[in-house]
Formats: sequence, structure tokens, C-alpha cells
Amino acid sequence: MAEISLTVNGERTAAQVDPRTLLSDFLRDGLNLTGTHVGCEHGYCGACTVLVDGASARSCLMLAIQADARSVETVESLSVNGAGLHPIQQAFKDCHGLQCGFCTPGLLMSVVELAATNPDCGRDEIREHLSGNVCRCTGYHHIVDAVERALNGVPGRADDS
Amino acid sequence: MTADQAPRYFGARVSRRQDDRLLRGAGRYVADINPAGVLAAKFVRSHQAHASVTSIDIDAAGASEGVRTVFVGGDFADHEIRCVSSYAAFQESAQPILAVDRVRHVGEALAMVVAEDEYLAEDASELVVADLEPLPAAVDIDAALDVGCAPLHPGWRHNAFVRRQVKTYGFDDASSSAPHRVSIELHNGRHSGIPMENRACVAEHDPGTGQFRLHTTTQIPHLVRAGLSWALGVPESLIQVIAPDVGGGFGVKAQLYREEVACCLAARQLGRPVKWVEDRREHFVAAHHSREHRHKVTGYFDDEGTILALEADIAVDMGAYSVFPWTATMDGGMAMGILPGPYRIREYSVASTSVCTNKTPYGAYRGVARPAACFSIERLMDQIARHLGVDRVEIRNRNLLTGGDYPWRSPSGLVYDSGSLIESLEAVVDLADLEGLLKCQADARAAGRLVGVGLAVFTEQTAHTTQEFKQRGVPIVFGYETAKVRLDASGTAVVSASIHDHGQGLETTLAQIAADRLGLALEQVRVTYGDTEQVAYGAGTFASRSAVLAGGAVTKAADAVADTLREVAAHILEAAPEDMVVESGRVSVAGSPSRFIETSELCRLIYQRPERLPEGVEPHLEASRTYDAHPGTGAYTNAAHLASVEIDPLTGKTRVLSYAVVEDCGPMINPTIVEGQIFGGVAQGIGTALFEEFLYDEAGQPLSTTFADYLVPVMSDIPDFRVAHLQTPSPHTIGGLKGMGEGGAIAPGAVIASAVEDALSHLGAVIVDRLPLTPERVLGYIDAANSSGASA
Repeated sequence: MAEISLTVNGERTAAQVDPRTLLSDFLRDGLNLTGTHVGCEHGYCGACTVLVDGASARSCLMLAIQADARSVETVESLSVNGAGLHPIQQAFKDCHGLQCGFCTPGLLMSVVELAATNPDCGRDEIREHLSGNVCRCTGYHHIVDAVERALNGVPGRADDS
Repeated sequence: MTADQAPRYFGARVSRRQDDRLLRGAGRYVADINPAGVLAAKFVRSHQAHASVTSIDIDAAGASEGVRTVFVGGDFADHEIRCVSSYAAFQESAQPILAVDRVRHVGEALAMVVAEDEYLAEDASELVVADLEPLPAAVDIDAALDVGCAPLHPGWRHNAFVRRQVKTYGFDDASSSAPHRVSIELHNGRHSGIPMENRACVAEHDPGTGQFRLHTTTQIPHLVRAGLSWALGVPESLIQVIAPDVGGGFGVKAQLYREEVACCLAARQLGRPVKWVEDRREHFVAAHHSREHRHKVTGYFDDEGTILALEADIAVDMGAYSVFPWTATMDGGMAMGILPGPYRIREYSVASTSVCTNKTPYGAYRGVARPAACFSIERLMDQIARHLGVDRVEIRNRNLLTGGDYPWRSPSGLVYDSGSLIESLEAVVDLADLEGLLKCQADARAAGRLVGVGLAVFTEQTAHTTQEFKQRGVPIVFGYETAKVRLDASGTAVVSASIHDHGQGLETTLAQIAADRLGLALEQVRVTYGDTEQVAYGAGTFASRSAVLAGGAVTKAADAVADTLREVAAHILEAAPEDMVVESGRVSVAGSPSRFIETSELCRLIYQRPERLPEGVEPHLEASRTYDAHPGTGAYTNAAHLASVEIDPLTGKTRVLSYAVVEDCGPMINPTIVEGQIFGGVAQGIGTALFEEFLYDEAGQPLSTTFADYLVPVMSDIPDFRVAHLQTPSPHTIGGLKGMGEGGAIAPGAVIASAVEDALSHLGAVIVDRLPLTPERVLGYIDAANSSGASA
């Protein structure tokens, strides 16, 4: 077992982990942060995307010990229960940017990174930037609407009520 | 029994009830569930397509750290999954829970390691040594049906689960006298729904009560319970199946799987909960496959292109076993039924063979056989148009059913209730700006580029129930869905339903219906589903049925509860029940809006002040109703799709430039959700058309076991969509609703094949007859077109 000390969603955390434990498993099983989902375990689908020191990372391709002394942010960092949704989450809700919700947490973290690094994207660029997050439900159109709205304040479709 | 005011929520683009929790990462999926003392299961799977199991050495695995037990086939030999069709001459297969003496596909489970955690279980699974003696593998339709191929199951005569044949009386005359005929052979690649969440289950067994509880990733909790009851030999009252949040289904999660049975048996034997979470490689080889059809079709037609008769020979590669609850006949039967499609075809001859091979078993995927059927009939229409030199839109207009044709009895016996086929085709031509696209195509061609336009029209049977499924020979007739509506003492409602929501938004749309019927605000209605303890029975979510059937059941149950509100309110307000109006959170006297009682106060009185109730009324605001959309032959949605593509002549890569859909699913409960379903379906259909295929080598080894080999569409592969709606109500269903969950996925294969063929049409004649249109295949079509053009 190895001792690691890291910051997760702003909180300092210390833990004993088996050196082979994946970061995704550590977050889900060790810290009960089950918002991070595991879809393929080979780094393709993007469902497990988290931010490590602000940059997106596949938590299924990273060991927990590699996160030692680093800062990890998961979907649970975006808003806490009781508080309002983060503007990116709100845009996804307003534009119907999710269906089953399984790919959503990873996608949201990729959008957080995109908003920080390249906030002036158009629709085609959004599609290129987010092509590492597979969604099987939405056909992507409403996701692009949501991201466009979140990044640029472009009014997507507002609800009737 | 009708809502008392114009609907407030039906038809509105309200945002979804479940989104907040899913967006916060607070959804609860099966992999998130960890009961105290839970053990982890890992399955050891066959690496051979077909082999005798000589021996399985589990000693080293059993001694590995943290291992509780290693199960092999003999441990579960008293259990199996059978799904027997009532069709004459159907040959039965029995799926063992773990292979006993034979494996019939790569990925079939041989052993189950149960350990303290997933890492230890996986370590031990690598120590299991299975000695397999290879047998010749039947890996395609022709090889399996060859008379020299040994039958794959004991007692079988040949490798067809079933063969069926139907011919109309007038077919021979109509076909033999037709002045023209065109024949084509079409191939659809093997692929499946690939939900982003793999399968998973957690089984618990209470030795005191004998009760099983299974959390599982399923679309059909009641049917899983029924299948488990048979496989375990335990009455349904001792089995609770719960499907919590499920990360996509698309049909692949609408079956009973062997792993579910194995986890229940292991939990009972070990006295601790047993959890299995599938990994993606397992999903590619062990979750059910779909879509692999081969159709030989011939159209007989006159000089105007009017179809006089249709002939089809259908073969479907169903893999190694008949799956529960569908049997191995589902795709073949569905294709036989729907192949004539939206056209005025009266004479039809069709044969269908469901073939058993050494591949992963075959189950449902969004559209079930309809994508292949649409591909066949629409490819045929394009060839007829080309044969006669008629425009592709025009040839369809000459054959499509029109308003006066309904109800239309198809030559396969389906009864189409209503539709707007010609209108939808006309609308999609406008929506997509076909004229503009053709101008762009001409410009692109002049510049040496390969640009094409394709289209397809289809009709989709949805929400079919008793009448349809009793003809399909399935052991359980999926006739109805159930909903229970309860108003509590606070005046808020809980709606429980036998369907499941794994992305379709039913948690919201059913609330919209209930809120309208009960005169409540949307926020006052909570919808639950997925737990067999909540409602008595039902089938689940598949076959585009849930909004129609669960929506109808919710309407009936909510109206029954509203009737009780009226009766009690009338007693309290000293008025007649028939004069009571339930709306906007109150029950009032019609014409005297000042005489009212708040619904919440009325609910409180009914539960807490029984002395205020009229005689004979129970202190109870709950109703459970089933709904079977009589006559059970289905509500027919229709749509027209039109797309443009560009092909890179050097690489053969096809890019979808634009995609437009006009869909008519009758009145829409929530148009935004309808559009989301259409877009999602079309993107999956683009995967069908261009990317997705489970390939096998000659020995039956799967070649597509990672996302690097099996390509799914990513965001940059998919264009923006254009969508428009027509709304022709069904004459059969409550509210005129029609289903639409599958429709988007049905046409894209046909549309894109049509577009690719069109992109090459100036080079020479070629028939695009095989999906998916991978770059390699498209290069082949380019070569063929060039050769044909050069020799012409």
C-alpha cells in the first residue's frame, strides 16, 4: 500500500492505496464520488474524464498514486446539492443536452476545460474539441447547443415553462 | 373521464425532471450500489468459437488471495435459459449458465470467480485453465446452413432455429405477368446498441425469507423477474428486480442474461451479495449482438414504376442461442412483416431463416429488423427508379400509401392505422432544400468532388401489443403496461410505472400527463419506475411503446383518482360529482369557481378525516390501471429522411454534410424530448451506415473488441440536424399518441447508401448493397463505378 495526499474537489485528502488502484476506482470506491463513470476502461469513451491540475484526464488510465500531491476535480465539484446548477450544467438542462446521463459527468468536465482554454469556439470547433467524449443517446446536436450556449451565451432553446 | 381544462403540460417543451440529479453526478447506477459484505464476480470466458470443454482447472484460482469460490458449469447445471417459440419446427437451444461440456461462441462464460474485490477476482480469473478441444466453427450464414455442417445443438436436424415462408394468393400471377423486375442482394453488418454503461448486476439473497433482490441494468425488470423465476425455479413473489438509473439500453439491455442468473445463484450459495460489473471487452463479446441480415429482394413493376409484387429471401445470423424473452425468431419475423414498408404493395412472397452460428447470441437493437427492411425496400425503390429513368422522389410518390388507403392491411398482415407519407416526403424535400443540395452537387462534380444526396421514407409499427405479439410465437405476449397513481395526504402524486426510463425522458413525460389529469403542477408529481415491487406486472421499455402504453395507463389511473376527488369534493361542497372540475390545484363547482376546495386539503381530509367522506367511499386515493392499445396491431409513425454526403476519392471516407428529418408521431407530449430521440436515433443510424461492425475471422475469433476496432460516431462525425414534425393522431390510442423511440435509427443506412450511390452515379453504374460503408468498401464501389463507366 502507498500513502497519497491530494486535493479532491478542493478538500485535502490522504489515503492508503494499492499502487495498482486506478484513479477512477479510488474516486468511486475510496471516496464514494460515484459521479465519475467508467465506460470502457481503455481510455476511449471519455465517461471517466476528470480534471487533474485543471487539465482533463481519463481517470481510468491513471493510477491513484499518480494523483499524489495534485488537485483533482470531478463532476461533484461543479455544484453542491441544494445550490443552483453550474452554468454549464444549466445549459445542458436547458438545451436537453443529456438523456441517460452516463456520459454526462465526463462531458461536463471536458466542457469546463474547453471554457477555460478556448471559450470562443463555434459549433464545428466544439465538435472537434469534444470528440473524445462519446455519447450514445443524444446524437450530439443538443449537446452542441448546450455548449454553445454555455460558452457564448447564445440563446439556445428556452423552455416554455 | 376527461381532463377538465386544456392541457397545461401536454405538448410543452418542459425541461426534464431527472436532469438535476444526473447533471450533479448524483444518479444512482448499478455500479454505484455496494451492499454491506458485497463480493465481486469475474467471469472466465471462452477464447474458442466452438469447442468441447475437456477440463477446467480451478485449483490455483481457488487458492488465490481473497477468493471465496470459483464456480464452473457443473455447479449450476440444474439451471439454464430457454426461450422457445411456438412456431412449428422451431429448434430449441438451452443456454447453460456456465458452459458444461461445450462452448458455442467466443465470450461464453466457462467459470465464475467470486472474490473480496474486483481486482482480486480478476487476478484469480487469470489462473483458471480451461482445456478446450476445438471443433469446426460455423461463422456465417452459408457455412452454418451447409449440409456438411454439423448441427450446433443436440438433436437438431440443421442449423436453422426456424424457417418460415408466406406467399399471397395472387403473387405468382402478378410476378409472372409483370413487365419489369429488379433483383438485389443486401448485407447489413453485425453490430449493436453499445450503451455507454456496460451491463452490471448486484444479487442479494435473504436466507431467512428466501427472497432474492437483483439490482440490474435492464429495460425490462418484470420480464427479467419472469425469466429468473423460470431459471432459478423460484416463484416470482420471492424475486425483486430493481433497475435504478440505467446508462442507455437501445435493446441490448432488454434481455435476461446468464450473468444475472449466475449472480443470484452465487449470492444464495455464499450468503453474501454478489456484484458483477462488465468491462467493455466483455460487452463486445458477451452482450447480445444485432442487425446482421442478408436480404435477397426482387421487385416486379410496370412501365410507370408501380410495384406489382415483391419477393424476399431473408436470413439473419442469430448467433449461438435463442435469447429470452424474444426467441431467435424476432428479427426474421419482424423483417418479413415490415419489408413492404410504406408502399401500396399487394402481392408478396417471403421466406425467412433464423440461422444458428458460433457467434455471440443476437438480441434487440433499436428498430429491430426495421433498419434492414428499410435498407432493402428503399434500395430497391432507388434501383427501380434508375431502371426506368424516373426521379427517386417521383418513384416513391407513385407507390406510397395515401390518406385514403388507411387503414391499410399490408400483404404481410400488418394493419397500418394512419400516416402522412407523401406529405412527409414533400416536407423533407423543402426542409433539406433538395434543390439547393442538387445545385451544390453539380458545382462539386464540376470541381471533381464526389457529393451525393440520399433519401428514404418509412413507416414504423409502434406500441403494438397483444394482437401482434401473439402472432410472433413468443412465450410471453407483451400486451400492456401498468401504471399506479397515488395522491398522498399532502396533495402530491406518485406515479409508478412498469416501463423504464434510461434516457427517453419518461420520468418527465409521464409526469406531464399525470399533472394535467390531476390538475397539479408538474413539480407535484413524482414518477418512479424500475422496481417490480411498485406495480403488479408489465413488459418494460422497448419497441417504441412506453409513451403510448404507459402514458395511456397513467391517464386511466389518474382519471380514476380524479373521480374519487370529484366524488368527495361534491359531497363536501354539496354539489353533483359530474359538476366538479379538477384543475389548478383545486376542485371546484363548474360555473361557480368560488365554490372550491384545495386539492391538497381534500387529500388531507380523505386520508386523515374519514368521517367527512360520503358513505361507501374508501379513504384511498390510489388506482392501478393497465393499458393495451386496442386492437393491438400498433400505431404507425412515419418519417422521411434526406441527407447529403461527400466522399474523399483518395481514402473512401464518407462524411455526412447535412441531415434532415420530417417525422409524424402524432401528438407530441414534449417536442424537445421527441427531437432528442430522433437525433440520437439518427446518429446511431449513421453508425450503422458508416462505422459499426463486429467482424470475425474464419475461425470465429472476434476482431472488434475495443473502441479502436469497433468505431462509434463521435461528435465530429455527426452534422447538425434539421427536423420538422407532422402530427397525424392514431385512431387507436389514448390521446392519439404514437411511439417514436426507434424511428431515427431506422432510415440512415438506406439514406446514406442512397447518397453514396448518387455521389458515384456520374462515374458509372454501381449498386451500394452493403453496410457499413467503411472507407475500404467505398473505395471498392468507386473502382466498380469507374470500371462500369469505362466499359459502358
